[in-house]
Amino acid sequence: MHDPFDPSRRWFLRDSALSLGAMALRSAVLGRGAPGGGSLQRPFAPRARNVIYLHMEGAPPTLDMFDRKPELDARNGEKCPDGFLKKERFAFIKGHPLLLGHQHGWIRAANGIEVCELFPHLAQQMGDVTLVRSMVTDQFNHAPAELLLFSGAPRPGRPSMGGWVSYGLGSENNDLPAFVVMLSGGSLPSAGKSLWGAGFLPSVHQGVEFRSQGDPVLYLEDPPGYDRARRERSLRALSDLNREHEQVTGDPETATRIAQYELAFRMQMSVPDAVDLRDEPESVHELYGTTPGQTSFANNCLLARRLVERGVRFVQLFDAGWDIHGTNPGDDLVTQFPKKSRQIDRALAALLIDLRRRGLLDETLVVWGGEFGRTPMNEARDGSKFLGRDHHPHCFSMLLAGGGTRRGAVVGATDELGYQVTDTPVHVHDLQATMLYLLGVDHERLTYKFQGRAFRLTDVHGEVRRELLA
Amino acid sequence: MPLCAFVLAGLAPAAAQGTHWSYLPVVRPALPETQDSGWCRSGIDRLVLEVMHEHGLQPSPAADPATWLRRVSLDLTGLPPTPAELDAFLAGAGPDARERAVDRLLQGSAYAERWTQWWLDLARYADSQGYEKDDLRRSMWRYRDWVIDAFARDMPFDRFTIEQIAGDLLPGATPEQQLATAFHRQTMTNTEGGTDDEEFRTAAVIDRVDTTMSVWMGFTLGCAQCHDHKYDPFSQKEFYELYAFFDQTEDNDQPDDAPVLRVPTEEQAAAMKVLDLELDELRGRMHAEDAAVMAWAEPRREVLAAFAAAQPKRSPWHVLGPVAAGDLHAAHATAFAPEREGVRLDAEQEGQRWRTEYDYKDGQVHTWKGDNSAFYLHRTYHAEAAAIAVLALGSDDAIKVWWNGAEVLAKEVARPAAPDQEMVSVALRAGDNELLLKVSNGGGPGGFYFDLRATDLGAPVEKVLALAPDARDAAAMDVLRREYLARAPEYAAVRQRIAQAEAELETHRGPLVPILRELPEDKRRTTRIHLRGSFLSPGDVVQPGTPRVWPPLPADAPRNRLGLARWLVARDNPLTARVLVNRLWNELFGRGLVTTLEDFGSQGEPPSHGALLDWLAAELMDGGWSMRHLLRTIVLSATYAQSSALAPELREQDPENRWLARGPAFRLSAEMLRDQALAVSGSLTATVGGPSVMPPQPDGIWMQIYSGERWQTATGPDRHRRGLYTFWRRTSPHPAMLLFDAQSREACVLRRQRTNTPLQALVLWNDPEFHEAALALAARTLLADCAGDDAERIRRLWRRCLLRLPTDTEQSRVLSLLQEERARFAGDPDSARATVGAGADEAPAELAAWSVLASVVMNLDEFVTKR
Repeated sequence: MHDPFDPSRRWFLRDSALSLGAMALRSAVLGRGAPGGGSLQRPFAPRARNVIYLHMEGAPPTLDMFDRKPELDARNGEKCPDGFLKKERFAFIKGHPLLLGHQHGWIRAANGIEVCELFPHLAQQMGDVTLVRSMVTDQFNHAPAELLLFSGAPRPGRPSMGGWVSYGLGSENNDLPAFVVMLSGGSLPSAGKSLWGAGFLPSVHQGVEFRSQGDPVLYLEDPPGYDRARRERSLRALSDLNREHEQVTGDPETATRIAQYELAFRMQMSVPDAVDLRDEPESVHELYGTTPGQTSFANNCLLARRLVERGVRFVQLFDAGWDIHGTNPGDDLVTQFPKKSRQIDRALAALLIDLRRRGLLDETLVVWGGEFGRTPMNEARDGSKFLGRDHHPHCFSMLLAGGGTRRGAVVGATDELGYQVTDTPVHVHDLQATMLYLLGVDHERLTYKFQGRAFRLTDVHGEVRRELLA
Repeated sequence: MPLCAFVLAGLAPAAAQGTHWSYLPVVRPALPETQDSGWCRSGIDRLVLEVMHEHGLQPSPAADPATWLRRVSLDLTGLPPTPAELDAFLAGAGPDARERAVDRLLQGSAYAERWTQWWLDLARYADSQGYEKDDLRRSMWRYRDWVIDAFARDMPFDRFTIEQIAGDLLPGATPEQQLATAFHRQTMTNTEGGTDDEEFRTAAVIDRVDTTMSVWMGFTLGCAQCHDHKYDPFSQKEFYELYAFFDQTEDNDQPDDAPVLRVPTEEQAAAMKVLDLELDELRGRMHAEDAAVMAWAEPRREVLAAFAAAQPKRSPWHVLGPVAAGDLHAAHATAFAPEREGVRLDAEQEGQRWRTEYDYKDGQVHTWKGDNSAFYLHRTYHAEAAAIAVLALGSDDAIKVWWNGAEVLAKEVARPAAPDQEMVSVALRAGDNELLLKVSNGGGPGGFYFDLRATDLGAPVEKVLALAPDARDAAAMDVLRREYLARAPEYAAVRQRIAQAEAELETHRGPLVPILRELPEDKRRTTRIHLRGSFLSPGDVVQPGTPRVWPPLPADAPRNRLGLARWLVARDNPLTARVLVNRLWNELFGRGLVTTLEDFGSQGEPPSHGALLDWLAAELMDGGWSMRHLLRTIVLSATYAQSSALAPELREQDPENRWLARGPAFRLSAEMLRDQALAVSGSLTATVGGPSVMPPQPDGIWMQIYSGERWQTATGPDRHRRGLYTFWRRTSPHPAMLLFDAQSREACVLRRQRTNTPLQALVLWNDPEFHEAALALAARTLLADCAGDDAERIRRLWRRCLLRLPTDTEQSRVLSLLQEERARFAGDPDSARATVGAGADEAPAELAAWSVLASVVMNLDEFVTKR
């Protein structure tokens, strides 16, 4: 007999309406699996159970944060080498740009490496972090680069990373969605909601946006004049009537619908409970620098911890405001960059401390980074006097922590001016493959057949990078 | 090498053994003899029954008439039947009651709207350009309305195809036929800075190839963009041969979506015709006798003569400036020394000396530099006699003018300078006259234009005026007559009416819709293979052509989109009709005869009923490609009429209803759910077509970086339009639609999934639009005149929403809910008032209690499911 719950079906699932219904049911309804076991047979022992992905939208100048270049300081104001300009397209730089040295000092981090002085809290946590200095991408505009990073292809339409993980592993909490997205910094990412879309996967796998204003989840709040008891009475009547009708139709979808309404009812409690920061002790707010009720990166970090604690599989944070071009004080290295740095330094460190204290860091993969790097040259758009850097796909740094990654390691290197990777390039497809590996998933086998072709997150690329693994 | 064998087989499909089924020509199969002819109503049923018997199954009993009517109404129109329609149907029992019901449903505009909705997913219709900026395309609704109109007229699908793919290439293409090509202008446009237009033009052309092949041929060739197809016999070269058909259009990723075309709607065209007639009549009234013209000309001739006699002689310009000020307004408003003290050419004023400028020739624009500053220009005119003259002026930006010490013009504007922006009439006196200009500049270059003229009539008119009256010929008289009609006060009323009518005419010309337009012969592109799919790596040149595996283009067919479009709908094309009937079957039964709607290739599922697929395809083509005919045939079949109730043994034998031994049952689409809620609550606005609308959605959905566009929630009837009219922005579609499996339409949506999630429950419970609908439904139920009888009202509620009466169990269950809510709301009037909202009646508790009931009914599995 057809068993929609047979996990072996999942890998090679035929895209039929019924099995889709079953898929959706599977991840949305079924309860907590065995720890780390999720809902599929995984080819490798998973090291991470959950992911918290912190995306700095606009691409932070990681060169000035984690990849100190004394040579760049020494040659500040000189024309960049001619070789930089050959066959190169820049988003904004015109003519022959000048090298731009670092604008801030450096401090020694816990693992001995140098970190920008704007990150004193984070510096103390670097002993738990893998710093990858040799990230590479193919795209130099925000939207395509973000799409490549989060969906494996530079154009819209593919499922997002969190969607794939939800599809592959399902949820561990029967009252909350598997994939949650939170925004700070005041604007949507350039590529919009496709960064957490389900693409061609069943829509149940799209990221659910937890909002900091209005309903935390769209349509969560009952109509005016409803209290909990009224909602419950109407739900009971609805369920009774549906069960009565199920006798006539014999349709299994009816049973699913009854279950989904029960879950919706529970979510109306569990979501506000999960996002209510007021029940955190003052010491925690002190640690993160959080104030309940605000929209901030710090609040979202604390919420992320609360969500993985409750079994949410994939939590994705977007923080806007990192596009440091130097066209005005609102996007330059001297004013905006320190402002953004202060907004994240303490919260980021707090998240790692908090996860570790609660014993969650080992099973939670934390990823921090942007969609590409920034040029070692000053952009000087239209002769701007503000200092800033243009988009740069050839190298950038990212941070990984927990979930089976190395502790205190540095992977890869860039040249003396921070223009090209010289050692151990890690493509964004490699990052995706490695993240899936840590979750116990083979990136070449997590596929979905759509329009006659088997698609996967890493497209036709990607390699699991052992250098990143503990 | 099985792949090669496949290719060879493809070259002679009919003859070869093992040819993939979908490459074989469509031949109408012979209908099987059947034992159970009593059940069968059409060829469909005989073919279905044969397969059912092969699997040891028997048809389910027919659904009861009300269930059938709801099913067919939702399928054909996207709306449920009203109780009155149900009554009429039940009362009209007779052998042709069903035929009449179906014919009624197929005739209305609701039918056209429902099938337009279906087509818009395939057309990847959206009201925005997509990509990062996702700017709005506010004119695309004209294309959507074209589709509605096509379905309303049952435009044959072959013509529907040709007009959308190549309407612009038809001989004597009408505006409507060109409008149809907006189908392939639904591709995305990237207006982000620093992007390469050719890269995104290429992406759009690839999308056109993929969409055409997917929608019409049921093949996904996307992978052949980079390499030969792995499973089906298509080479990369063949992909680019198809690409070549679409590579010759003008559009190339421009922000304004050029080329665009204005296509007035029928109503607009009618209004334009009326206005044209009125304008003809008004213009007919604009005539004048020679005597009147002469009388008007005479004083003007005298002015001209006086000016000539005055022989004004000008001095050079004396210039002072720039005089700095805080901003444009300060520069304009501040009276600097020349204004305060008078012009003193030999003294320092504002710390500067006047300089003489010989290069500022009259009748030309002159410019200078000086942000936020004022320039003074002074000159004198010496006249031999008094006369009237006109100063013709232009300025960048603000201007003031003094003539003989009196201010004659002051205007604070920001603009580039151009001739004749201002005309000022002045009196020349005999002797010296003094002119002072002040031109104030904000940012960028400043500048001015100046000329002194006898009149403001212009040189050609002045030339004719200067002639002696008896020396004026007919052409000269015409020049004067035109001028007279344009200026004489006695014609002011007519002139004003003409201007109004012309302005009104402009509003009826229709919005600018992006269309396909072929490049002129001498500007054609050379199409090359893109090595590894990259437009930066051109390979061999290719010519337009269709894949070898399918019948060739006729020798005399044009090698352009028109040739391709005709090829798609040729009788010997093995796929278009099969793919279309399969999609229609999927819409009605929730599952295609080929379940992989998007893949008729070797990796797709084979058809469950191959003969039925071919019979339907032949029926479609032989019926003149009439979708209406085909849908009518299907919904009148016994197969379609079966009950969808699922007996346990049937559930075991055929859980997915592959063998069609029961009727269809599946959840309604996002749009149908909305439309049904509006319909049963009596709130639906019936307007057909027009610009897309913005019904309520939660705040903060359109949070965008670059765009100042706002979601402006509709008030009035536009709040309650059918779902297909909801404004569709690709990066932010309406969230309730997305939660019910609509997709962003960045590419064509070949199949929507059907999920069943808790977030959907939240929408139907809590979305203010559904709450409003529940209130409206409750109010409607209460209005029913049945003397406060709860039981009767519940029966009416049930009948309106579910087209049946409640069972006793249901009746008592909701009655108990009603009584409890009524009692609790009565004891808590604040909650009752909150639930029913502002401006409700004097008995909010009653309405509130009924609205809880209405919401329960509108969340029933039975209500959200088509059975």
